[in-house]
Amino acid sequence: MDIKINSYTNNRALYEKALKYIPMGVYGHLGPSEGCAIPVSAFPIFSEKAQGAYFWDVDGNRFIDYMCAYGPNVLGYNDPDVDAAAFEQMKKGNCVTNPDRVLVDFAELMVDTVAMADWAFFAKNGGDVTQFAVMIARQATGRKKMVLTKGFYHGVAPWTQKLGYGGVIPEDVCNNLYIDWNAPEQFEALVKKYPGEIAGFISTPYYHPIFEDNKLPAEGYWQKIRKICDENGIVLIFDDIRAGFRLDIAGSDYHYGIKADLECFCKAIANGYNVSAICGTDALKSTIGDIMYTGSYWLSAVPFAAAIACIKKMKETKTQEVINAKGRKMQDGLVQVARTHGFDLRVTGEPSMWYMRLGNDLPSTLCHQEFVAECVRRGVFFTSHHNHFINQALSDEDIDYTWAVADEAYKIVKANHQADIDAGKIKLI
Amino acid sequence: MDIVTRAKINLFAVLRNLQELCTLDKASQEAIKDANLSVGFKVPSVGEATLVFKDGKCTFRRGDSKSSLKLIFLSAEHFNKLIDGGKTIPIFFNVFQAGFLLKTFITLADRLSYYLQPEKTPAFKDQPEKLAELLKDQEYFNISTTLTACTAFFALCEVGNSDPIGKLTAARIPDGVISCTVKGGPALNITVGKDHVMTAALGEVSDWRASMEFADMQFASDILRGKTDTFTGMGTGKFAIKGFVPMLENMAKLLAQVAFYLK
Repeated sequence: MDIKINSYTNNRALYEKALKYIPMGVYGHLGPSEGCAIPVSAFPIFSEKAQGAYFWDVDGNRFIDYMCAYGPNVLGYNDPDVDAAAFEQMKKGNCVTNPDRVLVDFAELMVDTVAMADWAFFAKNGGDVTQFAVMIARQATGRKKMVLTKGFYHGVAPWTQKLGYGGVIPEDVCNNLYIDWNAPEQFEALVKKYPGEIAGFISTPYYHPIFEDNKLPAEGYWQKIRKICDENGIVLIFDDIRAGFRLDIAGSDYHYGIKADLECFCKAIANGYNVSAICGTDALKSTIGDIMYTGSYWLSAVPFAAAIACIKKMKETKTQEVINAKGRKMQDGLVQVARTHGFDLRVTGEPSMWYMRLGNDLPSTLCHQEFVAECVRRGVFFTSHHNHFINQALSDEDIDYTWAVADEAYKIVKANHQADIDAGKIKLI
Repeated sequence: MDIVTRAKINLFAVLRNLQELCTLDKASQEAIKDANLSVGFKVPSVGEATLVFKDGKCTFRRGDSKSSLKLIFLSAEHFNKLIDGGKTIPIFFNVFQAGFLLKTFITLADRLSYYLQPEKTPAFKDQPEKLAELLKDQEYFNISTTLTACTAFFALCEVGNSDPIGKLTAARIPDGVISCTVKGGPALNITVGKDHVMTAALGEVSDWRASMEFADMQFASDILRGKTDTFTGMGTGKFAIKGFVPMLENMAKLLAQVAFYLK
């Protein structure tokens, strides 16, 4: 198999230009620093175009993209059906004084699709709807405190960050209470400690922080949490921004056997078009009217049309089954490739959005970091810190190519660390 | 700002710099060449430290030790006032050594200010052109950047160990050693040990868990003086990180807090 090593001349030049006009050149999780591009010389910074399972950078390098824009790409970039629906809507109208009827169509589809949903409300980003969910919980209960699981990520609003982070003050987080993942007894203890004070419990469907093995809910975990919420009038909020529509078309709460009170969606909902959604139960519907919450582009019609097409296609093609099967196949092969070089690749999380690291790495995790960099240099886009994503356009040929690249990458990493292996710091299997 | 943390920074990071100053700066070397005594500092709620001057060298020791001249402060605030240049008199034992304080020690303090905050010294205050000229002097620039780096990294440990918010950040740093190097400049390392207690030391380490490297003294200086940020440096490659990133991520948050304390 012909494997090319990338060079990034145009990427570097454009980044230098970007630094003149944009703080940090590229900010946020798509930037080289938050995106953990280590070393930065191995990574592209700007994309030129994307199609299916790939994107091409401004140097013309092609990447099999296992980050999928950090989740939105679920059917494949530029999916023809989703794009056609969006372009058709664009001809009719997008951001208009009155919303387009497609708003109602989309809400109806969400209610028909998401098992827990009696209504739907739309915004733009995941953080818009997790913030709204917390406001709804507080308004509905008249309480202040929120329970979160450690290792959480619910956006970038101050309450979702931690004390010590830039711009966050104690008052922003003073109503947050934290428990460990898979620890309903800790939730129960908090409920006893703060009787009548807890408005909501917000959590992702399973534990998928960065830099850590992902953990699925233990048997009966969500049922216990649901019961505690029911017995104490606490609103159960599923942050399904990342996992939504990757585990189950009916919602991740449904996937794990319960019904949340509020469920937040974004990422895979519209295959990259900018829309987020919060769905809720009838009991909370009237509360919405008591809260002022809106945004300039929240009722734009084009993303709604795209989302409708995306959800319909996901249903028709059984996307969740397909991407989990592709993910499992790719990851199983990757584990085998690693093993042939003596490395113990550990895969955790659900197959459509798995996390991986080496079980026999140095404490610095340097081997895995180097492995990722060598893969990216060869056109397979992984990251070393975050869970990955599978999209439906990923082909068997792409998986074969990925394995071939991984084989080369592990060979290089092993050679880089022969001294560590000889010294017993890395114990090959 | 927490007064005790500020005093800890002043004692264990700023004053500590006299050790490096006396190695790097010729005027300071000259000032201490005949000195043979030790000066102890005792600050309630903050701790104790001793500067030993012997054989033309200065050594900083953390903790209580025998000293020929002991300065005892009434409070953290009292000590901070001294470091800020305020007119304050500590209680001191062994009046026969007071001459050292009035001459040599003041010379060293002035030299330290000259390197760490030249804009606040009488020679350069409100004289931006003269200051700009000074910064072009390569020897001055190197010493100034080295001392600033030492201050910052020793200070961030004090923030992590003492400041109420800093302690929360330190609690998020996994155990291990962080290597901090400047190409062509100083090397330091920070150990995060039991209960997330942080200690800084000079020198390179090979068994690090996370590593940060500044590409040159100029970029280190720009970062430490707030002219640029580490995120930009990561993008340009002038600030290279490797290893277990959560350690560095949280360390950067402590470094941001240090800037408030040293303002």
